Amino acid sequence: MGRRNRAGRLRFGQRVPFEMSAAERLLIARLKERDELAFNEVVRAHGDKVFSLVYRMIGNRAEAEDLAQEVFVTVFKTVDTFRSESKFSTWLLRIAANHCKNRIKYLSRRRTDGGGLDDMPEDKMADAGRAPMQAHIDAPDVLLEAAELERLMQQAIGELDEEHRLLIVLRDVEELSYEEIGEVAGLPEGTIKSRLHRARMAIKDYLAKRTR
Amino acid sequence: MDHQGAAELFSDYVDGELAGPGKAELESHLSVCIQCRTDLAEFRQALGGLGQLKHAPAPAGFLPQIQRQIFERSRGRFFGKRWKLFGRIPFEWVSLVMIVAMLVYYIVQLRGAPTGVQLAP
Repeated sequence: MGRRNRAGRLRFGQRVPFEMSAAERLLIARLKERDELAFNEVVRAHGDKVFSLVYRMIGNRAEAEDLAQEVFVTVFKTVDTFRSESKFSTWLLRIAANHCKNRIKYLSRRRTDGGGLDDMPEDKMADAGRAPMQAHIDAPDVLLEAAELERLMQQAIGELDEEHRLLIVLRDVEELSYEEIGEVAGLPEGTIKSRLHRARMAIKDYLAKRTR
Repeated sequence: MDHQGAAELFSDYVDGELAGPGKAELESHLSVCIQCRTDLAEFRQALGGLGQLKHAPAPAGFLPQIQRQIFERSRGRFFGKRWKLFGRIPFEWVSLVMIVAMLVYYIVQLRGAPTGVQLAP
């Protein structure tokens, strides 16, 4: 087992050979036989993680609920394609990530007036005279209420394109290791690091603009 | 080191991945550059804000909704209602029993039928 840092992540560059537990192997085998109880176990075990990822990626609760359900329907349909070369949870997140990217592209094409996030777009809020974080804020982590901070962070994430958004959510929100992110996103570590840095800088710039 | 070069190292620096001469060079630059110190502070605040995003648990009724979707899409093949005592209706067994019953009925009818042919007077 590789050494872990304070956040429990594997240190960069350390690889741990993947071994599936007997219980997980059995669960997958039952799932491949379309065992409904096994599927229920999978949803109970991974539902929160998948929903959280989808919600942070999409930013809209109703949309996220619909999409997370779609992820598990896909899992039920395509579990035969799982080859046990990665962790089942990673495979699951990869499906979720692909669904999210497709949905983000679709939503950005559609770009309706309802807004992508749970709330109105910020320019509309400003027009409505209730832009809460524009004027009097010096530092987001000090002065904003938790809910407003969450909204602001979610808006900042929503400004990123789907690839950068995925990396930010996987690394800085879900706290996956670079190795796990590589398996989910299908990217080499170097690419992940450089894109993640660009995404973080974009978020920093967005927040700096909004909080000054 | 210029501002651009320093900013490029922020992620590695904050993640603790930067070591040796690179780290020393960045810290040396930070000690004399107020702009980069400000940028780094904002960078840390942004990451701190992301880290404070709470995990969003799946809503209540998440599993039943998925089950319903699979039920509908599989045209009732999966996650259908089960009979209390016998589980799902076993159509295969019902068909087999019907076939056997029809066979038995046919044989009984065959045996009960009059044998031989009588010519009409």
